[in-house]
Amino acid sequence: MARRIGFFICECGPNIGENVDIDAVLNAVEDMDDVVLAARFGLMCSGPGKDFLKANIKTEKLTHLVVAACSPKQHELTFMEVCEDSGINPFLFQLTNIREQVAWVTKDKEEATEKTIRLAKAAIRRVRYHDPLSKTALAVNADVLVIGGGVAGMAAALRLASPERRVHLVERSSSLGGRVVAQGPIYPTMASGGEMATAMVDLVEGNDWIVVHRYSEVSVVVGFFGNFEVVVTGELEDGGTLETKVNVGAGVVATGAEVLEGKPLEDLGHGSIDGVVSSAELEAMLADGSIGGKGGKAPKSVAFVQCVGRDEVGYCSEICCMNSAKQARLLLEAAKGAKVHILYRDLCVPGRDQQAFLEGAVKAGANLVRTTSVEVGGSKGGITVSHSLGDGKAEKLMVDMVVLSPAMVPPTGTEGMAEMLNVELDPSGFLLEAHAKLEPMAAGIDGIYLAGSASGPRSVSDSIVQAEACAGRVLSSLIPGRTIEPEIRVSHILETLCTGCQTCLEVCCYGAIVYDPMKNVSHINAAICRGCGNCVAACPSNAISLYHFTYKQLYQEIVEAIR
Amino acid sequence: MADKKKKEAGYEPKILSFCCNWCSYAGADLAGVSRLQMPANFRTIRVMCSSRVNPVYVFTALERGADGVIVTGCHPGDCHYARGNYFTRRRQALLEKVLEEIGFDRERVMLRWISASEGPEFASTMEEFDATIRSKGKNPLSEEVFL
Repeated sequence: MARRIGFFICECGPNIGENVDIDAVLNAVEDMDDVVLAARFGLMCSGPGKDFLKANIKTEKLTHLVVAACSPKQHELTFMEVCEDSGINPFLFQLTNIREQVAWVTKDKEEATEKTIRLAKAAIRRVRYHDPLSKTALAVNADVLVIGGGVAGMAAALRLASPERRVHLVERSSSLGGRVVAQGPIYPTMASGGEMATAMVDLVEGNDWIVVHRYSEVSVVVGFFGNFEVVVTGELEDGGTLETKVNVGAGVVATGAEVLEGKPLEDLGHGSIDGVVSSAELEAMLADGSIGGKGGKAPKSVAFVQCVGRDEVGYCSEICCMNSAKQARLLLEAAKGAKVHILYRDLCVPGRDQQAFLEGAVKAGANLVRTTSVEVGGSKGGITVSHSLGDGKAEKLMVDMVVLSPAMVPPTGTEGMAEMLNVELDPSGFLLEAHAKLEPMAAGIDGIYLAGSASGPRSVSDSIVQAEACAGRVLSSLIPGRTIEPEIRVSHILETLCTGCQTCLEVCCYGAIVYDPMKNVSHINAAICRGCGNCVAACPSNAISLYHFTYKQLYQEIVEAIR
Repeated sequence: MADKKKKEAGYEPKILSFCCNWCSYAGADLAGVSRLQMPANFRTIRVMCSSRVNPVYVFTALERGADGVIVTGCHPGDCHYARGNYFTRRRQALLEKVLEEIGFDRERVMLRWISASEGPEFASTMEEFDATIRSKGKNPLSEEVFL
């Protein structure tokens, strides 16, 4: 069928009309190949403007449409809808921006007119090579995978589970509750972390819509938002493994953090000097009553050493200062008159309640000391802690106990997790969010969300906030019975040209491309592809094309634009 | 016509600019909304991501007489498509190297990062590139005949 292109220029009131010689533009384009109509209108996006377009499409039997008006960010969709209403495929349309990028930025009317003509011609040349594209709709699976059974994972699972939405909660260890279940009182309320987590465990276990997979890890995740296929590998008592296949529409990663071990702690006497413990070990002693409580012993003098391993990992773990303030309060309650020193480099006391909490610890007797370096040595009758106060001054303390506050680090297996999910890693080794400020709960992959310490050390309350945010994203986008419309302007590979070199696999940021060794060609999953076109520019055999930004379309536009 | 007048007055550079939909194109729109006046001799091609800009397009434009080609995208770390602009950067580095090898002035191509909020930067970049290209004179290839 012959092309019948209609060209329309919008005056946008005086915005374009006064700065561009519209008749000159119409004159310049009306003789172009396939152009059957070139017309102007005062305000094309208005009701009468749209009716004008529709009437002309009908009477002139237009097959393609070019509109010279404002930015596509403003009205591209408006005119695409006009096309749809008039029976033209909305992709047989091109909008060229002559308001923001010509009329408003060009002083000289003649120059503005000339630029408009060039852009209009480029758009007309381009639209001749447009292909009709159609939307596809995919049914979604509303179930959700939650990886990690700590407070963040449990909070997300509890918020998500419903008769319409099954949640698969995968926990590596034997029991739910994560790090918090082993905690005594937690700051700032001093409510029991253990009790809080246990209450959540009970709710999870009593929820018919949460399937808990214990002793299990996620071994395979393939697919895309709305349709992920997952394999959960469980460890059996006899040492064997059991693979369970589950289908979900989204995943929440709540794999938490671990406490740093090894050299930075050993350098400070951990493992070699009696009475040198990590903050996690002290927490366990406080929780089981071997320190404090009835019949528990209590050290008379304690030195907390903060920021252990901070230089090695390269970041502040955010929660250790407050944790030490809390443990100091508990130790001071256990032994009245005890001497408790907190040796810190920089205090991290953010938030509404934290400062008052820390001041409470100081009031109870904790001695905050700023230090630049610490050495720990064993001696008869105690532990010596030598530390420098800066300005060449130094101090030596004799204490019964030294508590090391180590950095929080990514849990083992994070790298494998990142690779499996195609999520980026931060240089520190934690999972990287899509945007540090605007999307701190989302991974760079659609349908994968990050809760709690999986993306960096977090307090209990922050972890829960994130878990709820993840649940919010899922609840608002993955609705049972709905379909999703994947991006239409995606890349596709022409099998006849593909040589199977797999360069495209390396450049794709979304894992949308798979290699088929049987055919020795690669294939793009249109539901995962975002349509950036990176693979198109990378393909050495020109086998990849991006719909609506094809080689031919861009070539024609470029050639006409610089003619 | 304007074209005629230009020819009489002398040399007016032809510049092709590639803008990514999410950052630099929005930056150009912001420059427009802010009514920042710019040279009128650049023509923008909108692509979704700067990584769509196949270096072949840059060569094509130069071969067909563009006096300068500027590719713009999101700032490193800000790419709408995660890491697309890093690929653009590598391709551009290679492209400039190739231009140098074949004895073509590599400064006729430029890569710049312009965010959606950097309207003034977009305008000043275009001013600057126009001045550079203007000082260089006509693209020598525009006088050649390719068969």
